[in-house]
Amino acid sequence: MSSLVVDNVTVSRGAGPVIANVSLTVTPGEVTALVGPNGAGKTSLLDGISGVVGVSGGRIVLDGDPIEKLSRVARVKRGLLHIEQGRAVFPSLTVRENLSLTARTGADMDAAIGRFPELEKRINSPAALLSGGEQQMVVLARAFAAKPRFLLIDEMSLGLAPVVFMRLLPYVEELAQSGAGVLLVEQFTHLALGIAREALVVAGGKVGYHGPASALRDDSELLHRAYLGGSAA
Amino acid sequence: MLQGALAGLAAGGLYAALAVCLTLMSRLVRVVNFSQAATGMFGAFVAVWLVTAAGLPIWLGSVLGILLAGALSAAIGWIAATWLSEASTTARSAMTVGPLLLLISLSFILFGNKPQPFSPILGGPAFEFGGVVVSQVTVVMVLLAVVVAVAVQLILTKTAVGTQLRALSERPTTAELLGIPSKPLSIAVWAATGVISAIAIVIVAPSQSNDATSLAMLIVPASAAALLGGFTRPGLAVVGGLALGVLSGLVAQIEEVALIRNFLPFLFIVVLLLWTQRKEVWDSAR
Amino acid sequence: MGYVLSISLSGYFVFFAVSAVTAAIALLGLGIVTGSAGMIALCQLTFAAVGAWVVSLLNVMEAPGGFIVWLVAGGIAAGAAGILVGLPALRLRGVNLAVVTLGFAAAADVTLQQIQFPGSKDGIPVERPDAFSDDRQFFFFSVIVLVVCALGVFWLQRSRWGASWKSVAFSERGTAAVGQSVRTAKLTAFAVSAALGGVSGGLLAGQVQLPFPSSFTPIQSLALYVLAVMSGTQLIDMAVFGGIMWVLVPELLKRFGIPQDWGFVIFGALGVQALTSGTNLGEEIRNAWWKRRGRVAPRSGTTAPVEAAPASAGPGARGLDDRGGTHDGGSSPAAAPSPSSPLAAGTAGSGRPAHGLALAVDHLTVQFGALKALDDVNVEVPAGTVMGLIGPNGAGKSTFVDAISGFLPQATGTMSLGGTPLKGLSPTHRARLGLRRTFQQDRVPPSLTVGAYVRFVARRHVSDAELADVLGFFGCPSAGTRLSTADIGTRRLIEVAANVAAKPSVLVLDEPAAGLSHEEHVALGERLRTLPSTYGMSVVLIEHDLDLVRAVCSQLTVLDFGKVLASGPQDEVLANPAVIKAYMGETEML
Repeated sequence: MSSLVVDNVTVSRGAGPVIANVSLTVTPGEVTALVGPNGAGKTSLLDGISGVVGVSGGRIVLDGDPIEKLSRVARVKRGLLHIEQGRAVFPSLTVRENLSLTARTGADMDAAIGRFPELEKRINSPAALLSGGEQQMVVLARAFAAKPRFLLIDEMSLGLAPVVFMRLLPYVEELAQSGAGVLLVEQFTHLALGIAREALVVAGGKVGYHGPASALRDDSELLHRAYLGGSAA
Repeated sequence: MLQGALAGLAAGGLYAALAVCLTLMSRLVRVVNFSQAATGMFGAFVAVWLVTAAGLPIWLGSVLGILLAGALSAAIGWIAATWLSEASTTARSAMTVGPLLLLISLSFILFGNKPQPFSPILGGPAFEFGGVVVSQVTVVMVLLAVVVAVAVQLILTKTAVGTQLRALSERPTTAELLGIPSKPLSIAVWAATGVISAIAIVIVAPSQSNDATSLAMLIVPASAAALLGGFTRPGLAVVGGLALGVLSGLVAQIEEVALIRNFLPFLFIVVLLLWTQRKEVWDSAR
Repeated sequence: MGYVLSISLSGYFVFFAVSAVTAAIALLGLGIVTGSAGMIALCQLTFAAVGAWVVSLLNVMEAPGGFIVWLVAGGIAAGAAGILVGLPALRLRGVNLAVVTLGFAAAADVTLQQIQFPGSKDGIPVERPDAFSDDRQFFFFSVIVLVVCALGVFWLQRSRWGASWKSVAFSERGTAAVGQSVRTAKLTAFAVSAALGGVSGGLLAGQVQLPFPSSFTPIQSLALYVLAVMSGTQLIDMAVFGGIMWVLVPELLKRFGIPQDWGFVIFGALGVQALTSGTNLGEEIRNAWWKRRGRVAPRSGTTAPVEAAPASAGPGARGLDDRGGTHDGGSSPAAAPSPSSPLAAGTAGSGRPAHGLALAVDHLTVQFGALKALDDVNVEVPAGTVMGLIGPNGAGKSTFVDAISGFLPQATGTMSLGGTPLKGLSPTHRARLGLRRTFQQDRVPPSLTVGAYVRFVARRHVSDAELADVLGFFGCPSAGTRLSTADIGTRRLIEVAANVAAKPSVLVLDEPAAGLSHEEHVALGERLRTLPSTYGMSVVLIEHDLDLVRAVCSQLTVLDFGKVLASGPQDEVLANPAVIKAYMGETEML
C-alpha cells in the first residue's frame, strides 16, 4: 500500500530550526490535520516535504523510497502535490490555462471543470479577476486534474469568509475519497478537525499532540494544552 | 534627413532584436542579461574565424557560430538556474557581468581587438525609397526583429510550453510544485535568446563597427529599447529599438550635435527611467 | 610604511605601486556601492576619468592651488557626476543603476576618445605637487591620499550614512520605516563612491602626467566591479588587496609570457563564482576569524531571553518564570519589568499629549485589483494605551499596518498622528513624525551590530547606558553582538527594542512574538504592557494569542475581511456578540 511517511524531520530557516523532530504518516484516502498557533512551523514542515526548502534532518519516505533529496519536480512526478498558502493561482493566466498546467488530457481538464460549475462560466477570464473563493476553486480544480496520490494543503482559508471556506471543504474530502492522502494545515481548527481522522498539534516547533482528531474535537482542554506547547500526547 | 533615418534603421533592427531577447529574459527568467550581446558577438567572431581561417563555407561557419552562442548562453543560464534559482533579479543580473567581461577579454585573446573581417552574408540594395537606397541588411534586420517579437508572442500565448513559461515567470515556486520543469525550460530560454542575438549580430556586423567592445556594448542601446517596453513587452521593445536606431541615424547627420549621438542611448534610458518611476513604488519583497 | 616602500622599491615597481594605490582608492569607493549598499555600479573608471579630466583641465588652466586642490576638485566633480547619473536610477532597484552606469560608461568612453584629455594634444604634463615631484615621492604622496580616503571611509561606514547603506542593501522598506530616506541612502553611497573614483583618477593623472582614454574603458570598469565584488572591498584591507591584485595579476601574466587579457578572463570567471555563491574573500576571512574567536550571540534556540539578558538589565530581566503559563488576564503591576532611569526620564518631559488620540484612522480603504483588502476602516488609538489588533489570517491586519505607515500610497481615507494629518506623506516622513512600525518579515540588516542598529533606528543620540538599558529591558544580546549571529526571534526582539528607543508616539508591532517560545511570548507581552507608562508611547499590537491580548491590551480592534467588526475597550469588544460569533466560536485557540 502506498504511503507518505515523515520520519523525525527537522526544518531550519536562517539561524535555527523552525520545526524539529516531527514524525507522521499520511494515509491514502484520509485527511490528516496539522494545526497549531501561528509561527509554529506548520508551513515550514509542508515546505520541507514538498522540497520548497531542504530538510535539515530526518527522512521523508514515499512508497518506501526516500524523497528528501529529490527535486521539487521529481517529487511531483511521484504523485506529491503541494497547495501553498494564500491563493496559488497564476493571476495573468486564464482559468483554462491554469488548469492546463496539471491536466494531462482534455478529459482530465473537463472532469475537473465539471466539478466547479462556477468556473465553467469564467473559463477564459484571467484568474486575477476572480473572487478569492473562485481562485481557491481554481486551485482545487487544478488539484483534481493533477490526480495526486498525496496532497499537502496549506491554510486554504486565508482571507476567505468562513462560509466560503465551508463550501470548499467538501472538495477536500472528495479528493481524499478519490484515494489521495491529504495533509491539511488550517487555522480554522474545528473545521479541519471535523473532516480529519488523525490530527497533530504543533506549537513552538514541537509536536504537542498526535492522535485521533476526534479526541481533540471533543476535549477542548486537551486542545488548549497542546496549543500552549505542553506535551499532551 | 530621410537618408539618415533609413541608415539608422539597420542598427535599429539590431537593437530591436536584442531588446526582444532582453525582454524575454527579464520576463521569463528574471534577469537583465548583460552578456546578451557579448555571447552573440563571440558566436559571430567564431563564425568569422571558421570561414576565414578554417575555410568552412560561409553558411556552415555562421550556423556553427550561432549554435556556439546558443550553447554559451545556455551555459550561463545553467549557472543561474543551478546556483541563483531563488536569488533576486539584481543578483542574477550582476552575475552576467562576469561572462560579459570574460567573453570580451577572451575574444581579445583569440581574435585580437581589431574589427573582424566579416564577409557579408547579405549585400546590395533591396529597393529605393524616396531617392534613398535601402539595403537588404536593413530590410532583413527590421523583419527579423518584428518576426521574433511576433513569434515570441505567439509561442507564449498559444502553446503549452508558452503557458508553462508564463506560469514560471509569475510564480516560479508554485509552478515547480505543479511539476513544471523550471530548470530545463529556463536554460532553453537562455539558449534561444543566445541564438537570436547571434543571428542578428552575424547579419548586421559586416556593416557596423564590429570590434569586440562595440558589439558587446550593444547591450546599452538594446536595454534602452527594452526599457521602453518596461522589460516586459516585446512589441514596445521593437518600437524602442527602431526609434533609437532612426534617431541616432538622424543625429549623425548633424555636425553640431554629433557628440550627443554617443549619449543618445544613455539619455534614452535616463528619460525612460524618470518617466516610469515618477510614482513611488515599493518592491513587494524588499 | 609607505615611506619605507617608496625608498626601497625600484623605479619600475614604484610605478606599479602607484597604480595599485589608485586602484585601491577606486575599489574603496566601489566597496561602498556594491558591498555596503548592494547596488551594481559599472562605471567607476568613468568617474575616475572625470577626476582625471578635471585635474588635467585645471593643470592646463594653471588654476591656483596646485595638484592637491585640483585632486579635491576632481573628486568633487566626480561626486557631482555620480549624483547626476544616479538620480534617475535610484528610485527603484539595482538593475536600473547597472543599466544606467553601463550606458554612461559606454557613452563617456566614445566621447573621451573624441575630445581627449585637456592638454594631451599639446603634450602638457600634469604638474605634481612640488614636494612629491619624482616618482618615489609621488608614490609616498599617493599612499597619504589612500590613508586619508581609508580613514574617511572608515569613519563614514560607522556613521549614520554607513548604517543607512547597509540597511538599504538588506531592505528598502525596513530603511524607510525607521525614518531614513531610501533615496538619500543610495545617493550618498553612490556619490561617495564616485568621488573616490574621481580622486583615484586625479591621482592617476598625476602619476602618468598625460592621461589617455585607454586607462578608463568600460571593460576596465567591469573588471574593477567584479574585483570589488569578489574581494569584498567594503573592507578597507580588502580594497588594498584588490588594488594589489589589479596590478599584480596582469604583471605576473606578462612575466610568464601569457597575454594580459587572460587577467580579465580570470577575473570574469572568479567573479561569476563570487556572485553565484554570494560570498567574498574578505568576509570569508573575517567569518573564519570570528568563528575561531567563538563570538556567538548569547541567545540561541528556545532559551528564554530573560535568562540570557545581560546583567545591566536589572529588574527587567526578572522574567515571568514564576508566573509560568498562567497569565490570568488580571493586571499585576508588580511583575511588570521597568527599565532604570535614563530612557524613561528622557521621555517624561518630551511634551507628548498624555490624553486625546494618538492615532486616528477614518474611512481607510485599500484595494488590490478586485479585492478590497481594507474597507472603510475606522480606528482610534487613545494616547497612552496598548491597542490589540486581532482577526483571522488574511483579515487585513498587515495591510492596515502598511497603509498607516505609508507603504500603500493608493490607500484612501484620512489618518492623523496626534492631530497631524498623514495623508500623502512618505513612510520616511511618517516615521520621523513619530509613527514607527515593525515587520512580520525579517528586515533587520545582518551586517550591522546590535548597537549600531539600535542607534540607526533611534535617529537620536543614545548613550551607552541607555543602549544597554533598552536592550536589557527586552532581553536582547549585548550591543557589540553582530546581528548576523542572532536567530530570527531575537532579531525581531531587537527590532522592537530599537523602535522603542526611537521614542515614537505610536509604535505598531506586527506579530512581534512569532518565532518565540510561549514563555518568551508571555514575557514580551508583559514588557509591552508597560510601554505607555514608562515611555509615554501608544502601542498597536497585532497578536494571535487571545490570552496574551487579554492580558496586555486595554483597547481592542477586531478586523474581519477588511472591515472593523468591533473596536473599543477590551471588555466591551470581547463581550460584543458579533465578535463572539465570528471570532471566538471557531478560532478561540488562535
